[in-house]
Amino acid sequence: MTVINRLSTRRRGDEEVVERIPDWMPRNAADWLAMAFMVAIGMLTIMPIVWVMTTSLRTPAESFTVPPEWLPEDLYFGNYLQVFDEIPFVYQMGNSFFVTLSTVVGQLTTATLAGYTFARLYFPGRDALFWVVLATLMIPYQATLIPLFVIISKVFGLADTLWSLILPALPTAFGTFLLRQYFLQIPVEYEEAAMMDGANQFQIFRRVYLPMVAPGMAILAVLAFNGKWNDFLTPLIFMNTTSRFPITLGINDLQRYMMTGSISVVLAAIVMATLPVVIVYIFGQRYLIEGLMVGGLKG
Amino acid sequence: MSALSRREMLQASAATMAAAALPASVTLASAPSQDNITLRLQADPRDYQEVIDAYAGVAPNVSVEPVSVTGIDHAEVATKILASLAAGTPVDIGFAATEATQLYAGEGLAMGMKDRLLDQADDLMEYFSDVSPVLVETDFYEGDLYQLPRDFNAANMWLNTKLLGEAGLELPGEDWTKDDFNEYARALTGLGPEGDSFGFAWNNGLWGGWLPWIFVNGSNLLSEERVGGGEWLWDTFYADDPNAEGRGGGFRWPEPQANNAANVEALEHVVALTRDGHAPSVERGFAENLSGFFAADKIGMYPGGGFFTGFLQDAGMEPGTYDAQFWPRWQSQRHQLGVGALWILIGGSEDAAWDFVKWHTGRDVMEMIGFFRVTRTTPARRSMCTAERFPNVSNWNIFYDTVDARPDTGPIPAPVFSIELTNIFTRYTEVAVSLEQSPQDTLDAMQRELEDLYARNA
Amino acid sequence: MASEATLGSGRRNWLPAWLAGDTVQGIRRQRMVLGVLFLLPTLIGLILFVLGPIVVAVAMGFMKWNVFRPPEFVALKNFARLFRHDLVGNSFGNTFVMMAMTVGMLEVFAIALALSVHRFARSRLAYFFRTVWFLPVLLSGVSVAVTLSYMFHTDFGVVNYYLGVLGIDKVPWLVSSDVVRFSVSLATVWRNLGFTFIIYLGGVSALPQEILEAATVDGARGLKRLWLITLPLLSPTILFATVIDVIRLLQFFDEPYVMTRGGPGDSSRTAVMMVYDTAFANLEFGYASSISVVLFLIILAVTGFQFLLSKRWVFYQ
Repeated sequence: MTVINRLSTRRRGDEEVVERIPDWMPRNAADWLAMAFMVAIGMLTIMPIVWVMTTSLRTPAESFTVPPEWLPEDLYFGNYLQVFDEIPFVYQMGNSFFVTLSTVVGQLTTATLAGYTFARLYFPGRDALFWVVLATLMIPYQATLIPLFVIISKVFGLADTLWSLILPALPTAFGTFLLRQYFLQIPVEYEEAAMMDGANQFQIFRRVYLPMVAPGMAILAVLAFNGKWNDFLTPLIFMNTTSRFPITLGINDLQRYMMTGSISVVLAAIVMATLPVVIVYIFGQRYLIEGLMVGGLKG
Repeated sequence: MSALSRREMLQASAATMAAAALPASVTLASAPSQDNITLRLQADPRDYQEVIDAYAGVAPNVSVEPVSVTGIDHAEVATKILASLAAGTPVDIGFAATEATQLYAGEGLAMGMKDRLLDQADDLMEYFSDVSPVLVETDFYEGDLYQLPRDFNAANMWLNTKLLGEAGLELPGEDWTKDDFNEYARALTGLGPEGDSFGFAWNNGLWGGWLPWIFVNGSNLLSEERVGGGEWLWDTFYADDPNAEGRGGGFRWPEPQANNAANVEALEHVVALTRDGHAPSVERGFAENLSGFFAADKIGMYPGGGFFTGFLQDAGMEPGTYDAQFWPRWQSQRHQLGVGALWILIGGSEDAAWDFVKWHTGRDVMEMIGFFRVTRTTPARRSMCTAERFPNVSNWNIFYDTVDARPDTGPIPAPVFSIELTNIFTRYTEVAVSLEQSPQDTLDAMQRELEDLYARNA
Repeated sequence: MASEATLGSGRRNWLPAWLAGDTVQGIRRQRMVLGVLFLLPTLIGLILFVLGPIVVAVAMGFMKWNVFRPPEFVALKNFARLFRHDLVGNSFGNTFVMMAMTVGMLEVFAIALALSVHRFARSRLAYFFRTVWFLPVLLSGVSVAVTLSYMFHTDFGVVNYYLGVLGIDKVPWLVSSDVVRFSVSLATVWRNLGFTFIIYLGGVSALPQEILEAATVDGARGLKRLWLITLPLLSPTILFATVIDVIRLLQFFDEPYVMTRGGPGDSSRTAVMMVYDTAFANLEFGYASSISVVLFLIILAVTGFQFLLSKRWVFYQ
């Protein structure tokens, strides 16, 4: 569909020249339609973000206008400097990275193993257990927050530690479900071939299946990273000490007592806190797309 | 209820919950040792670090640990505080604005200060002489005092003087009326560089919403009465203060009266502002943006207290382009008020906490608090309200005069169930200001739901 | 993939006899042992940190508790009250309406985006767009509140300004009880499109090229190919994404909370907002829990129904 049909022949003078059409170039009406749709959605999604960036480079008095000012002029970096004066930004970013990366690694492990079980390993009661796991997604988090905090602080004594944010996030019903679907999509023939060859069940998991769900793992990694990075309610309840806050709480602190903090400073902090996530995503995307391509060709 | 049993209660309820999930693993928090005490103080370290460091010199065996509660709205703060209560690890010294004062006192969490105040009256004479009795009365509950006012904000009116100049208007005088206000609102509409300013804008909340109009129309959302008692304080600390006369042991709001004639009239007044295009549409999520639009010369008048000083400074509004005035007079000029202060948890380290709270009332201590440096709230101490504290606000004196020169100023109605009350109030208000229902019908419906609320909490 | 010749060679004697891989029994046992081991981390974690609190929350549904006083058993009173409480019924209704609108838009847009970008899959342009669409998902907290309410404000809002340029009257996006559910759904689509899109991107990339090409050769083109070939092949992903989105959006909270707090009046109040306010503003934790339990049962039923239905349209290779 994509990778093929990228060559076109064109007559130049007497000879016929074969040219490669650039990857981004639409070739037919359907391509043009797709392009128009992509550009339209792209514009709509990026406009608010541009406004956030522009406003973070001005004072509120200059930025709350109708229509909004989309392009920054006379860049004012004072908001950015002020963030460092007000909160331990570097520390809190460090906390966020530690918590988020630990959670992502943990979720990838637990979800891959559990997802594989639910897709390919059979034992009595397995399907009932799958529904129990899925059901945990269906109860509002807000209703279990206080009991969870009581357990974290009384039973484990972990309140106000970064572990209190990591441990409860390690089991993931969403991730388990996601990877189960990926495992299910892999034709059983691969497994049968390996079994003929005398591989045991762990080897089949490790060498046959695991490489083929890389795209699913990449997707889970991106979504888990993002979800944990933006988590606000849990740290709000669990954490007390400013230097141990993740950056989401730090940003809230910038609103200050009586909400008298400058919105532009808040937005400056958001831009800085989002940048690493965007970078992670851009780099992650390379693996994601490579993984998806590999998975796609195999599927 | 005795101090001990209150703490046991909290632990018991926490234990019940933990036990329900995992039976065998409950351990109760160990009591702090006698000689070294740690006090958990609900405070933003940016504002309180200097205070905490100074206290280490005063009481070396007490270490104060700031517990930072970053929640912005009441529900977020409540979530945090309630979760820590449920886990049996609450703060020793909490913070409450008027919205929560009676909740903590009424639920038996906060310590009454009467005995200690009378015991140590001499040490506190100077503090009370510097604090308006209006503020102190707000922190009473059923005859006892639960907090020592630290800061407050009354709903005054901020005006954009650049837009005033464009409209050819002067800053209004302190006795301006609701009719003057309407003239101003009309004149300040459609000005500014793009010709699209609004004369007035407001946020839908209990404090600073349309409740100030209820107050100046001589009414209140709930019927209001003074509880008896409190003479012990007034006679001890305010014997010579005429403003202390007739005060009692706190406010009580026995029943709702949302749909009385004065309230309907007040709601009609603000609905008309939106309908006539003199005020923008009132939208809940827009609060932070709205103050930004005031700074950007899109709004002529905006409700706010002394706290707005710091915001406008940070927002980059030029000096000399804004000022403040009293709320306009209607039937009266009674302002609405919210007070912020520390409270002490019953059953925590009460003595140590009291020592800290008492020391914290000192003028030199209050000067160390961060949010009084760049003025993000109005100090409860009169002597701290100076021109320097409110830079670029030529009418800065009105902030404290709202309680000194207008001693009828009173608290927002904040009974034990005030958060739910606020939700009901704002929900129905939305329906009226979106012009979907008449003020009368809206307030009738609000009244019915408030009556249910009262019945449930009876 | 590892070369199959090396797989498992020389390892046969490494396992105890009862797990030996050369009997059907042994393979079954291997699978059971491995299954249990693989599930353990998730199960232990879920029991400690998720099921435990859920059991407490469900138990609370039968109690009256305001945090300050020990819980008090009230049997079914909370549930009885809930069925008489108009506000609760109304919030469940809103939740369903907004969920349906949002999921509808999300799935259609996300599938269309995934199929569109796949046409340019390896180019830098595709790279750029994939990043752009994901940006709103990366934004959090205050910025979402500030930008969403700025976009949709009736008088100061960006959307109405540009509609005005086109000569369209101001739309009361968030203050009209008729419009607000749509506006909030639209904003939610904006915020969540990247999330759903990336799930479909995975599905679209995994489509078997051979089959698609064979179909093209056989003359299936355009919409016909999309409907008869592409979508059925994508159906496992569609099932996964709709199940997850329905579960997530029946627990709709963030966007309506920051934009309207449920207003005007109660017209955009969702079930979870009801739970949150009942617990943390009204301090009725028991009652809040009972609402959560009912919501849970509804979500469970809807999800079960989706799986049942899926047998008729989902196509596994």
